[in-house]
Amino acid sequence: MRRLLKPIQAVALLYLLWQVTSWLFPAWPGPSRVLEILWAQLQDPGFQTALWGSARRMAIGYTAVVIVGIGFGLLIGRLPLLDQITGSLAVALHAIPGAAWVPLAILWFGMTERAVLFTILLGASGIVMVSTDTGIREVPPLVRRAAQTLGARGVKYFWFVVVPAAIPKMVDGLRLAWAFGWRALMAGELLTSVSGLGQRLNQVAKAQQLDALLALMLLLAMVGVVVDGLVFKRLEQAVRVRWGLL
Amino acid sequence: MQVELKHVFKTFRHNGSAVEALHDINLTVADGEFVCLLGPSGCGKSTVIHLVAGLDRPTAGEVLVGGRPVAGPDPSRTVVFQDAALFPWLTVLGNVEFGLRMTGVAPSQRRARAMEYLRLVHLSKFIHAYPHQLSGGMKQRVALARALALQPGILLLDEPFAALDAQTRAVLQNELLEIWELARPTILFVTHNVREATGLADRVYVISSRPGHIRDVQAVAVPRPRHAEDKALLALQHNILGLLGDEVEKVLREELGETVHFPEAQHAVPPEQSRGMHI
Ligand SMILES: Nc1ncnc2c1ncn2[C@@H]1O[C@H](COP(=O)(O)OP(=O)(O)OP(=O)(O)O)[C@@H](O)[C@H]1O
Ligand SMILES: [Mg+2]
Repeated sequence: MRRLLKPIQAVALLYLLWQVTSWLFPAWPGPSRVLEILWAQLQDPGFQTALWGSARRMAIGYTAVVIVGIGFGLLIGRLPLLDQITGSLAVALHAIPGAAWVPLAILWFGMTERAVLFTILLGASGIVMVSTDTGIREVPPLVRRAAQTLGARGVKYFWFVVVPAAIPKMVDGLRLAWAFGWRALMAGELLTSVSGLGQRLNQVAKAQQLDALLALMLLLAMVGVVVDGLVFKRLEQAVRVRWGLL
Repeated sequence: MQVELKHVFKTFRHNGSAVEALHDINLTVADGEFVCLLGPSGCGKSTVIHLVAGLDRPTAGEVLVGGRPVAGPDPSRTVVFQDAALFPWLTVLGNVEFGLRMTGVAPSQRRARAMEYLRLVHLSKFIHAYPHQLSGGMKQRVALARALALQPGILLLDEPFAALDAQTRAVLQNELLEIWELARPTILFVTHNVREATGLADRVYVISSRPGHIRDVQAVAVPRPRHAEDKALLALQHNILGLLGDEVEKVLREELGETVHFPEAQHAVPPEQSRGMHI
């Protein structure tokens, strides 16, 4: 209960500020109105289809990010030569904003779901590769020495020492990748014609429905915060405690 | 397996500056012998352990095990590190089983063997705990069980009991001696503690610092089990403390700067009373 007190206070304060600004500027919809619309939207079957479409895309895209990101991260971490060639590639990949992949995705896949998934993959897997690779190189010397004196070598050393030692860094990367993927999903859906929250954003903006637009953005923020808080923050915390990093 | 260091020098280089950690070390541990290295902080004791473990190479000289130069780490030479160095992602049991898994011991035997050594260090109740849930002394005991479980020919112990209370320390010292008498591994044991060194070892190498060199070797000609109040043991301890008495102050002065003042009165008191048995 104590732990919840601060977030509740913060939300209450935001709500109050929003309410006050909506009184000062009548064109600006207040929170109660926006929440009402959001509630109504959530009941609407068309909206639900869009919501599930986005959720499904995010689930598939993020799974691909985890597999490709960790897979390539381990590979470049394991093979120094490959790392010299492609390691900087991963960094470059990570440097390109997710939304910047959309035009290329549309060029290759058309205005399809695949284009959106491609955007998520390229927008979010770079950070996972880079952090996995970093984790693999930074095996603490004490751990390395202990493992070596206990007979760990080669493949066994890699799987039983290097990989677990890299897990805290990987989790950091996965948490960031979630946020990047979520942004990339929206960018992809905004610019393609796939049924999803991004497309909805486009529609209500074109129809100049400010309150509905705000309701959607509020939903995006809430999903982002809730998933990060309930899944990633906890995971990160648990890993840090066990790995003795706190 | 016999351990031998012949004219070993070790210099650490760090961005242009160099620290000579070991200077012309000559040392032997006979097969099955229990030898202690005793010396003040920074004299190079851990460095010797690392060299014998094969984790580091000497700048000059030879490190021989069974007459052959050490080429790298090997599970027949296990180490209890000064700071335990457990794997944080494994449970206590997982840590002790680790070496057995790496060296290909069958899964069915692994568990039994690990449990056997965990019982020995009195940690049977904590097998499912993770290292972050253990006290410093418990971690050190896991590290000891982990090193023993491989039943090594050479056991390298770097201040394994420094973090323990006197009672636990005494219990584990006895257990170590029992294991040693049973399996007869060659033991190289590092400690700051004069009483511990003379209580355990066949021979004690007294090491001085800056750079680390061997000051003296003392055979402990007292049969086991040894009693703390044994006259010969006390005399030996007194002897060693006298040898290293001024050494400790010298090291502290260098580390802390010239501003440290040592009360004159300390010199009037016999060393074992003013500093206890720690050097
Ligand atoms: N990797 C390293 N790089 C640079 N200098 C080092 C390194 N390892 C040890 N030294 C130096 O070598 C000297 C001996 O270190 P060592 O750790 O062997 O001492 P020690 O006798 O084990 O000390 P303590 O009792 O405090 O553990 C010290 O002066 C230390 O600063
Ligand atoms: Mg040391």
